[in-house]
Amino acid sequence: MNPWWRSTVAGARLEAALLLRAPLLLVFAVVQAVVFLVLVTLFGLTGSRAPTALIQLDHSAYADAFVHSLERAHHSFDLRPMSAAEAQDRLRSGELVAAITIPAEFTSTIRSGGTLPIPVDVDNVDVDLTDDIQRAVPSAIAAFGRELHLPQLRVTVHETDVIDHDTGYVPYLTVSALALDAFVLAALLAASSIAREWETGTIKLWRLSPTPASAWFVGKLAVVAAVAMVATGLTGFVVVAGYGVRPRDPLACVATLAGCVAIGASCGGWLGMVVRRTAVILPLVFGLALPLYLDSGTLEPERFDGDVIWSIAHVSPVYYAVGLLERAWHGLRVTPEPVWLNVVALAGFAAVTAVAALRSLRRARLR
Amino acid sequence: MLRDVTLEVRRGEVFGVLGPNGAGKTTLLDVICGLVPASAGEVTVLGQVRGSRDAGLRARLGVLSQETALYDELDAMRNLRLHASLFAVADAPARIEELLRLVGLWDRRTDRVGTFSGGMKRRLAIARALLPDPELLIFDEPTIGVDVEARHAIWQYVRWLRAQGRTLVLTTNYLDEAEALCDRVAILKNGEVVTVDTPKHLIARAGRCVDVDCPDALASAVRRRLSDAPEIVRVESRPGGLTVFTGDHDSHVERIRELVASEIGDVRVDVRAPALAEVFELLTSAPPR
Repeated sequence: MNPWWRSTVAGARLEAALLLRAPLLLVFAVVQAVVFLVLVTLFGLTGSRAPTALIQLDHSAYADAFVHSLERAHHSFDLRPMSAAEAQDRLRSGELVAAITIPAEFTSTIRSGGTLPIPVDVDNVDVDLTDDIQRAVPSAIAAFGRELHLPQLRVTVHETDVIDHDTGYVPYLTVSALALDAFVLAALLAASSIAREWETGTIKLWRLSPTPASAWFVGKLAVVAAVAMVATGLTGFVVVAGYGVRPRDPLACVATLAGCVAIGASCGGWLGMVVRRTAVILPLVFGLALPLYLDSGTLEPERFDGDVIWSIAHVSPVYYAVGLLERAWHGLRVTPEPVWLNVVALAGFAAVTAVAALRSLRRARLR
Repeated sequence: MLRDVTLEVRRGEVFGVLGPNGAGKTTLLDVICGLVPASAGEVTVLGQVRGSRDAGLRARLGVLSQETALYDELDAMRNLRLHASLFAVADAPARIEELLRLVGLWDRRTDRVGTFSGGMKRRLAIARALLPDPELLIFDEPTIGVDVEARHAIWQYVRWLRAQGRTLVLTTNYLDEAEALCDRVAILKNGEVVTVDTPKHLIARAGRCVDVDCPDALASAVRRRLSDAPEIVRVESRPGGLTVFTGDHDSHVERIRELVASEIGDVRVDVRAPALAEVFELLTSAPPR
């Protein structure tokens, strides 16, 4: 075996032995990935199911059809039928976001072609939720008019979908969360693994050995990346089996996540070389990763958030990863850049971070 | 930082590097090992000029750094196996057994290193340094932080290595250790070599020590009196009297007797060779009196 391979294998064996002697770390790595998925899911759920009272004073077929339209309005209501008095009570106590009243004269007014105000009481404590209600009610009215072919209804929307299928908000979020999971896990494990070599002084061993230190570095990071990939894979399994969100192109999903892991491991290795202290790794990685995550098309395609934010997003590898993952998982195009450009960008990030890490290893002064 | 350091270590000798903290001892070893590049000059190790691509040379060195740099989570065997694989040690299992037996850790070979005492860790690190059968051994403070028993055990290994004809460079803060183990020593101060010699010659070069017994109340007067004499190199206080350093001449000793007698009358005066610790103090501290 030549010295390079000897050192790579030794580094990999060492890292595997160290990780196996810290089984809790492995468990926490997986738990952390799943917890992050849950966090994102909760974020999606809390924003998309606003508790809204439905005060239905008319129980005719027209009124029921309108309620049905309200229920189908995307990302808006969790309709809860109740009396007007109870609705006012709960609205004031903060248990409801809004109360929609279907007046008793709903059917008669529609039949006669008259104009009927639909009373909506909104707790405008958060303007975002208020906006959601304001958008959703006309949308539901339009859908209601279209379904019942009401010629006298003045609001008409002719909706043509760009994509031939709808994607739920939670499934959209969870897939992009996987990209960040892969980055964060790989970066954390890699940075901790390298930083501890500095803390214990064992980095000297590698520099003093006749084999190339870069090979040892690669061997260690390879094992770390494998662990991060397994943890990300398990989280992906939760998304598929637990959430029922199936990928359209599983191979592309795995390849994208592997790219994310490779970049995360390289970044982490470089960070470990520079920071040299395990205690600061965790806050640093999370501190760096979360803004990149939020500005990477995670919550919605970044191009909808304005030119400046969209431009900034291009410096983050998560942007390209989310672009690739949403396409591979849901068949969505969330970045204007073509797939090949996203792939090239990810490969470029991986190469640049790997070179930076190896360069810092070669140049590191041990004293 | 090192300045104008010129040293030559002979094959087969145990060479000690002494100096106060911050003198540059560890930096010197790091330069020899290739961990720190020399900003100027040339370092030749085992006949090979130190460069950045000297993997062949690294294979001929055995280094024991100040921090033992062992993996606490792994057992002793695995620590040595890792090193053996990096250095491509032939017949590694037999060599590991031989060295673990040598340092008395064979019975603890499957125990996690984290459970070892400081002395045991040092012994294991020595075994690791010896694993590739190196031509040159470099030990940075090999007995720092270990108890007396472990210290003497490490001395035994060093003596054994010398008997084997190995070349060994070591740094130490313990002067008795340098006196007991080293063929020659270099004394460093502020990154410069103050002197290089055998411990025996250094002691001889330092002249004589004259211990003067006198009551503490009179000591400062005697000290003042002695400080004026050109024959006297240095005067130090000690419990119950003074220690006076002077050149290696009987006349100097006589002069000290006279000066003391003139100040406080006849007192007991003992003449002896200085200890290496006193020589070290003489060479590394601020000038006399």
